[in-house]
Amino acid sequence: MTTPKINFREIKDWTVDNFFGSKLGILLTLFSGLLIVYFISSIVSFISSAEWEVVSINKRLLLLGRLPAEDTWRAWPILWVFCFVFCSSIGAWGNPKKRELLLLLLAFLMPTAIFFSMSYIVHIFITIIIGSASYISSKIIRRTLYLGILKKGLVSLWILLIPLAFTILLVGGGPQSNLWGGFLLNILLASVAVVAGFPLGILMAVGRSTKLPVIKTACTVYIETVRGAPLVAWLLLAWFVLPKFLPNLFGLNDLSVVIRAMIVLSFFASAYIAEVIRGGLQSIPSGQLEAADALNLGYVDKMRIIVLPQAIRVVIPAIVSQFIGLFKDTSLVFILALTDLLQVGRIIPEQDPKFFGRQIEALLVVASLFWVVSVVLSNLSSRIEKNLGIGTR
Amino acid sequence: MKKKIGKEIISAENVVKKFGEFEALRGITAKIFEKEVVVVLGPSGSGKSTFIRTINRLEPHNSGKIVVDGVEINDDVKNLQKVRSNVGMVFQQFNLFPHLSVLRNITLAPQKVKGLSRTEANDVAMSLLERVGIPEQAEKFPSQLSGGQQQRVAIARALAMQPKIMLFDEPTSALDPEMIKEVLEVMTELAESGMTMICVTHEMGFARSVADRFLFFDEGLIVEEGTPEHFFKNPKEERTKLFLSQIL
Repeated sequence: MTTPKINFREIKDWTVDNFFGSKLGILLTLFSGLLIVYFISSIVSFISSAEWEVVSINKRLLLLGRLPAEDTWRAWPILWVFCFVFCSSIGAWGNPKKRELLLLLLAFLMPTAIFFSMSYIVHIFITIIIGSASYISSKIIRRTLYLGILKKGLVSLWILLIPLAFTILLVGGGPQSNLWGGFLLNILLASVAVVAGFPLGILMAVGRSTKLPVIKTACTVYIETVRGAPLVAWLLLAWFVLPKFLPNLFGLNDLSVVIRAMIVLSFFASAYIAEVIRGGLQSIPSGQLEAADALNLGYVDKMRIIVLPQAIRVVIPAIVSQFIGLFKDTSLVFILALTDLLQVGRIIPEQDPKFFGRQIEALLVVASLFWVVSVVLSNLSSRIEKNLGIGTR
Repeated sequence: MKKKIGKEIISAENVVKKFGEFEALRGITAKIFEKEVVVVLGPSGSGKSTFIRTINRLEPHNSGKIVVDGVEINDDVKNLQKVRSNVGMVFQQFNLFPHLSVLRNITLAPQKVKGLSRTEANDVAMSLLERVGIPEQAEKFPSQLSGGQQQRVAIARALAMQPKIMLFDEPTSALDPEMIKEVLEVMTELAESGMTMICVTHEMGFARSVADRFLFFDEGLIVEEGTPEHFFKNPKEERTKLFLSQIL
C-alpha cells in the first residue's frame, strides 16, 4: 500500500474555496480571525495572570459555608453515601458509552482537582475506593439474578439519601441549620425541593386535570399564585411576613430559615412541575383512558398505572430542565442571609486587600461547580429517556 | 348447527345521544339476547359506534334507558362498575397500554379489579394468549407486535375480565388486509364458544357466517333488522339496499 501524498494544490483550492471565495468571504474570514485571536489572547492573559489563592484558602468556605470547622467531618460520610449510591446506580442501570464516561470523569475530576487538599488525602482516597468498588460490584451483580433486588435497594437508598444527610448533619449536637452553607447548602436545598416538589407537582397536575370543580379550582389557584410571583418574593415572604400571620402553632415561627427556604422552594418547584406534567397528561390519547374505563379500572389505578407513567415519560426532558433551573435558583437564598456557594464566591474576594480584583477566579470556580451538577443531570435525563424508550409507540 | 339463544341480556329503549346540537342517536330501541352475535352495520356517521359505546357508558346517553344484565346504566357508579365488569370492549385502534408488556396488559385489570394474585392472573393471561394463538409474545411490548397480534392481545385483555358480553368497535378497520383474517378467526372462535357479541364491522364475509342478526343503522336510527339471509336476499329498505350494494 502506498501512503497517500499530501496534495498541496488541493489544500490550497479548498482553502480558497472555503475562506476566500468571495469578497464577503474574505471579509468574514478576516473578521472571525480577529475575534478568535482576541478571545484566545484574553484567555491566555487571564490564565497567565490568574492567582488562585483566593480559592485555595477558601476551599472549605466554598463547599460548606459557615459550617464550623469542628463539624467539617460531617460532610464526608454524606459524600461517601452519595458516592456509593450514585456509582452503584451507574453500574446497575447505566451502559455508559465511552464519550459519556469521559464527560462524567471530567465532571468529577475538575472539582476534585480544584478542591484537592493534602490534609484530606485519606478521605479523598476512601471516596475513590468507595466509588469504584460500588460501580464494579453492582456491575458484577448485574450479571446475576439479584439485579432486581439491587435496583429496589438502590431506589430506596436514593429516597433515604436526604433524611440520611440530615441525620449526619444533626447527629450528636450538630451545628445550627442556618450555619449550613456553601455548595452543600445548594445541593441540600435542591434535593429537598425536587423530592418534595415532584410528587406535589404530580398531585397538582392531576388535580387541575380533573372534572371536579372544587379540586380543579383549588389546584389552578395554587399553581397560578405560586407561579405569579418571583421566587425572591416568596423567599422574603417566608422570612418576614409569614411569622406575623401564622399562629405560633407547632413552633412554625421558630422554623429555621433553611427549613423555610426548603418549603418555599418545594412549593415553587411543584407549581412549575405541575404545569409540565399537565402538558404530558394532555398528550395521552383518549383511547388509553377509554381502554382503562372499559376494563373497569378505578380512577386511582387508571392515573397511577396507565396515564401518569406515559405522561411523565413524555416530559422527562422538560422536568429535568426544571430541576436544573431549580438547582441554580437555590443561590437566591442569599437574601435570607444564608451563605450558599454563589454568596461565598461573591464575598471571599473582599476578605483581604490582596484579593482585590480576583472576583473572576472565585466566580469561575463557583460556575464550574454549578456546571458539573447541571451536566450530570442532563446526561442522566438522556440516559433515562433511552432506557424508557422500550415499548413506546 | 344452530346455537341456543338465551334470555334477554341487553335492552335499549329509545336511547338518545347528543353531541352538542348534533343527535348521534335519535331513539334506539333494541334487545340483545344471551349467546347472540349481533352485527351492527351502517354508513359512517350513522351512530353505530356511538351505540355500542353507550352500552358500557364510554358515551353517557342523554335520554332513554339501557339495561345490561338486569342493571340499569345511569349516574350510579356502582351500577356502572357492575355493567363494565360484565362487558368487554375491543377498539379499532387496539388501545393497548404501550408502556406495559403484553402479559401486563392482560393481567393488570384482573389483578387490580378482581383481586387475583399475580400467579393466578398470569395463568389466566397465558391461557388466553394460547387461545388467541400468540403465547410466545407474552414478554414483548405492544409496539413490537404486528397490528393483528396487537388486536388479538386486546381481545385477550378484554376476555381476561371474564365478561358476559363483548363489544367490537370496528376491530379490523385499522389492520392491513393480510392481518384481518387472523383477528376474524379469533372472533369466530369466540362466537362459536357462545359469547354474546355486538360487532360493528364491515367484514361482510365474517358477518354472514357468524352473525345471528343484523342491525342496520342510518342517521341515528335502526332502519332495518333481521337475519343475514334476510339482508342478503331481500332487504326491504332502500337505504339498506343502497348500502349493501356499495359494500359488497
